[in-house]
Amino acid sequence: MIYSPLDFFTDPVFRAPTIGSMLMCLASSLIGVLVIIRKRSLLGEALSHASYPGVVIGLIFLSSYFPFQEEIIGIGILVGAFCTSLLALFIIHKMERKLRVKSDAALCFVLSVFFGVGILIASRIQTTHAMWYKQIQLFLYGQSATLMDIHVLTYGILCCLIITTFFLLYRSIEAIHFDVDFSKSIGIRVNFFENMIYCLLVLAICIGIRSVGVVLMSGMLIAPGICARQFTHRLSILLILSGFFGLLSGFFGNYFSVIIPELMQVAGEKNFSLPTGPMILLFATALCAISFIIGLSGRYTRIIEHKWQCRLENALKSMWKNEPFDLSWSLSFWLKWQGWVDEKYHLTPEGFIYASRIVRLHRLWEVYLVDYLGQKVEKVHRNAEEMEHIITPELEKELMLLLKNPKLDPHKQPIPRERL
Amino acid sequence: MSDEIFYVEHLTVNYDKTAVLWDVSCSVPKGKLIGIIGPNGAGKSTLLKAALRLVKPLSGKIKLDGKSAYVPQRSSVDWDFPITVFDVVLMGVYGKLGFFKWAKKAHKEATRRALEKVGMLGFANRQISQLSSGQQQRVFIARALLQDADIYLLDEPFAGVDMATEKEIMTLLRKLKKEGKTIFVVHHDLTCVESYFDWVIMLNTCLIASGPVKEVFHSDNLMRTYGRSALLLDEAAKLSQSKASGVK
Repeated sequence: MIYSPLDFFTDPVFRAPTIGSMLMCLASSLIGVLVIIRKRSLLGEALSHASYPGVVIGLIFLSSYFPFQEEIIGIGILVGAFCTSLLALFIIHKMERKLRVKSDAALCFVLSVFFGVGILIASRIQTTHAMWYKQIQLFLYGQSATLMDIHVLTYGILCCLIITTFFLLYRSIEAIHFDVDFSKSIGIRVNFFENMIYCLLVLAICIGIRSVGVVLMSGMLIAPGICARQFTHRLSILLILSGFFGLLSGFFGNYFSVIIPELMQVAGEKNFSLPTGPMILLFATALCAISFIIGLSGRYTRIIEHKWQCRLENALKSMWKNEPFDLSWSLSFWLKWQGWVDEKYHLTPEGFIYASRIVRLHRLWEVYLVDYLGQKVEKVHRNAEEMEHIITPELEKELMLLLKNPKLDPHKQPIPRERL
Repeated sequence: MSDEIFYVEHLTVNYDKTAVLWDVSCSVPKGKLIGIIGPNGAGKSTLLKAALRLVKPLSGKIKLDGKSAYVPQRSSVDWDFPITVFDVVLMGVYGKLGFFKWAKKAHKEATRRALEKVGMLGFANRQISQLSSGQQQRVFIARALLQDADIYLLDEPFAGVDMATEKEIMTLLRKLKKEGKTIFVVHHDLTCVESYFDWVIMLNTCLIASGPVKEVFHSDNLMRTYGRSALLLDEAAKLSQSKASGVK
């Protein structure tokens, strides 16, 4: 059967995975914004890989003492991941500060060593404890289908913690990320805040690896933030948007990873499954791609608009000077529609005022170039051809003041006055 | 003396093993416009940072007597940061607000007035990456004005700033001085020291001179600040550092 999106919040089987993934994405997308503005996106990558040995050790340790007690094992894994991730953070800091290792080298080194150790221990139990090994594998690429209500509750509490911190300490967080020295000078305890934010980052990663997996976690940290950065220049809105995009990817990643195999089964394809982690990440990436396209298309539209405006103004100018020019049907339609020319293609009074402004700007600019910048008279025309479309009314006023209302341009042609 | 507002006694500050400030002692009376000059790496910025407790001195005392406002070097922050001009200046009230409260209407009004004083009100909603370097500096100064301090400490406010902005900032600083504030400015350009400041602190790791411009700003002290004899100390310090840390 095919489920509607609403079922994902009510159905006892789907409820926990959906809400769990969404909470996880919310947490990581909020903290991710800070990682991005610190320009330390790779830190997330290193720390998430470094949590893997913690997962392995936590699972082995607690499964030996509390076999089959899922809740305790789950919390043990969380604690283990948190510890090794924090240890990795500590080592990275020491390497950068004390040993003067370059940041990217330190990150790379810590990432591979920790991950390697994790794989080593995991492969040791592959044959002896196949059940445990299978559980560990889940954390590599993530699986939300087996999330339970207890997980959701834990994630919910951690998410609340992160959101409350952001809400209460927003101003301090903004200040220390923008200007450390200033923040210290007004008495913000920068070191305390930095450590707290790093702890939250590690926490968000530990929440996330269950549904997205160690390997893809860093993408989840930064994708919603990058997407949101296209739309705003303010940290507060950036956080809100990023959180929203995070929630969206959490839900739809999960939704598609259930719905697509269902559809495939209807179509007769058996044993088709999609891991949640990649689906969430792919959805977040798709959001990013869309936001880039929106950003780019805005730019290209403005370029095309400007070119079109230049063509219009050139046509008007030619009519004003009674010079011949090409009149395409689109151009003539637009000129008529704006009311700048009449049926016989003569300038209307409005068109005449507009055209004489263009000519005035052109000639004023030429005067400016010759009188103030010492350019040669025969060389200024080309530059003025461009500037006539660009000069704003404010600049025009300033030019008029500076040049003291000149009557003639350098080619001894009259400069049309503002009103006739 | 009772009207001393800045007071340093045997101050030594070091980064790793190199002394940046070495046994500096001086004091400055209230209500002056003070220039801090010296070559690169002479510890000018460090003196400000030590006064603000941003760096911890190895030994000695340093004291600022009053509320202070700090204008960091323009290059010390990331100007691509997602924040508007208005929000940067609003940070000036954060110190007063405490850490959990949000800015009220009165604070926003004050922010607008501060922006107006530096002629940047029209840019309030701009993103900071769109500003020119002169405008960036004005924004920083507006933020300091909002802090309502007795002492202003400006770290190289004229670096990379156009002439017009420099003049305007100077007018603003002189006005502050008339209101009885004390202003410290780390400065590079020696040609305008005499016209800008009425007190000067000349540094090159050690204190060369501190006093009214007319008394201490002469070629003898300048030679001692910038000349070969001062460079020797620097070279020796670097050598001793490399020997001690084992770096070739």
